[in-house]
Amino acid sequence: MNKSIHRVKTIAKKEVVEFVRDWRTIVAIIIIPILMFPVLFIVFPILLESEAAELDAKNVIIEIQYNQYPEDFAALFNQSSTTIVLVNTTFNQSLSEPMADFDRIRNMELDAILRLNYTDDIWFYSIIHLSTSESSNEAKARIIDVLSQFESNITAQRISDGGLDVDSTLDPLRWDGDINKSDVATEGEQAGLILSLFIPLVLAIWTFSSAIQPSIDMTAGERERGTLEALLGLPCTRNELLMGKWLGVATITSIGVLLQIVGLLFAIGYLATSDFIGIPDLSMAAVVLIVLSIMLFAIMVVALELALAMRSHSVKEAGSILGPAIILIIFPALFTQVINLDGIESFWFGIPVINILLALRELLLDRVIVEHILIWMISSVVYATLAAYYAAKQFKREDIVTTLS
Amino acid sequence: MTNSNTLLKVSNVRKNFAEVVALDGVSFEITSGEVVGLVGSNGAGKTTLLRLMSGVYRPTSGTVTLGDDTPVHLMRDSLGVVPESTGLYSRLTAWENIRYHSRLYGVSDSVAWKRTVKFAQSLDMEENLSRYTKGFSRGMRQKTALLRALAHGPRVLLLDEPTAGLDITSARTVRSLVNQIKQEGGTVVYSTHQLFEAQQVCDRIIIIHNGVVKANGSPEDLITTTGCESLEEAYVALTQEKARMRFEDNKPESGVTKLWHKLFRPKTPESEEALVVSSDE
Repeated sequence: MNKSIHRVKTIAKKEVVEFVRDWRTIVAIIIIPILMFPVLFIVFPILLESEAAELDAKNVIIEIQYNQYPEDFAALFNQSSTTIVLVNTTFNQSLSEPMADFDRIRNMELDAILRLNYTDDIWFYSIIHLSTSESSNEAKARIIDVLSQFESNITAQRISDGGLDVDSTLDPLRWDGDINKSDVATEGEQAGLILSLFIPLVLAIWTFSSAIQPSIDMTAGERERGTLEALLGLPCTRNELLMGKWLGVATITSIGVLLQIVGLLFAIGYLATSDFIGIPDLSMAAVVLIVLSIMLFAIMVVALELALAMRSHSVKEAGSILGPAIILIIFPALFTQVINLDGIESFWFGIPVINILLALRELLLDRVIVEHILIWMISSVVYATLAAYYAAKQFKREDIVTTLS
Repeated sequence: MTNSNTLLKVSNVRKNFAEVVALDGVSFEITSGEVVGLVGSNGAGKTTLLRLMSGVYRPTSGTVTLGDDTPVHLMRDSLGVVPESTGLYSRLTAWENIRYHSRLYGVSDSVAWKRTVKFAQSLDMEENLSRYTKGFSRGMRQKTALLRALAHGPRVLLLDEPTAGLDITSARTVRSLVNQIKQEGGTVVYSTHQLFEAQQVCDRIIIIHNGVVKANGSPEDLITTTGCESLEEAYVALTQEKARMRFEDNKPESGVTKLWHKLFRPKTPESEEALVVSSDE
């Protein structure tokens, strides 16, 4: 027994050392997971913000064509970055027809044209613009802001002229007091709800995807490089070999998943105030069950990937099989996000992949429901055992040494 | 009849891969301290036989036993194997490669290191033990694989074409090491298709052809038995029937694969009408 454990540890250690010595692996399992979410949630919004500020400062030329010009209308525009050209005219056709202005907008002589036609107490309008131009879109957005303000002013004026109170007429239904105080869920529970929306998704997809490369490298890769035959001649059993490799892949995958979650939480913590997300209220039982569910999922996924990679004739073939196979995780993962947990039927907790994702969602909400736990635990043990059995079967095949590409 | 010094015994072994018979009725014994050459063309069954002797394969029928009639796959810690591909991990140093196998054999690092240094001196490899094997030449890789196979002190060393692709000096060094092991009483099974090499290194030669043992004896015995003037002539006389293809090169394809390959099979020049040379030309 001790010898067996020693061999499994030796194999796993060597796999991790060899894998980590490749700088590309460090990038893939450490740098990318840490940086992915911070880049997405911190750098990207900063970039968007700076682009938006640039657009705000950009000078746009707007022509206003009208049959009657409303008083102080131009004053509603930001005068420092908007050039207004006024044209008094009459309208014979639909305002939306660009007509002679077609080329003027396309040639960027103007960024947008606002047409205002006052008839029978109604202001008809249209905005001629070029949707593929950023400055034209910006001009359109500024016109809409001004029109909205203009409409509010007219509405208020007309209500007032009718002898009604503007405030109570426009806003007859109002929330009373602090809206946050009315939610009886604790901050921890709310944090759990937010985390349950993406943690299971990230865990499932990243566990599967980050195990692909090491699984292929340690099986089909070993065969292609000719190292597998030397290994099979050693006094370790095929099961020890499988377990060692499984441990190696699981270690690498766990590090990747853990770092990605750290990166994700850091990004959220940096971006949001503490009101947005806090520490979820989790009982010790929920924490233990979360760890157990992830372990069972990892056992199943890694064993399955090792088996499929070992079954492949080459590294290329293994990549062609395992790459698209991620769909088997992505679809259930997305589907699970929309399943309503309140009054959920128990059978959902017996479906592979979905069972663990639902279990994680429930547990992050600190809902420890014995019936659900028993179902996902038993079904997951069955699936993990089947995957491990399938992997062991592949590793015991005699031709694994000869199915070279 | 089994000799009292018999170390490795192959008894009436047959090995099938699906319908293909890779080896049939193979029997021989190897006694302690012998260097035995397995000689044959590509596809003869040498590698399959070595894999059976190293416990990687199990015989379809017959037995391969070591020592006291124990099946060889239960005695793998008594074997040292150098496969044709050497099987080194490029991101590990030479010593790390050796140590990895030694640990799996259950040998302590200090014992493995002592043995490695001893043989590394013979192979002029001491300087390279701490280098990553990534940049190693074929000769250096082969020497590292030999050191790895020797580090745990095996009773039998199985070498699959250990000098294939090596330059003259490296091949000579490998042969010298085998001779050194022989001097020290070691037992070696040496697969090769170089008759000259087998004659130089081996006490006994087993000629395999199309999965069957055609001859088993000392180089002198083979020449005498066949009535030929040289070992090469004796080999040709013993292996006259056409050599088959290697199983790996002639593996049966599945139905879908066959259909797929049929769709995309490149045409040979003869089948291209434009390339057919007319009889007038």
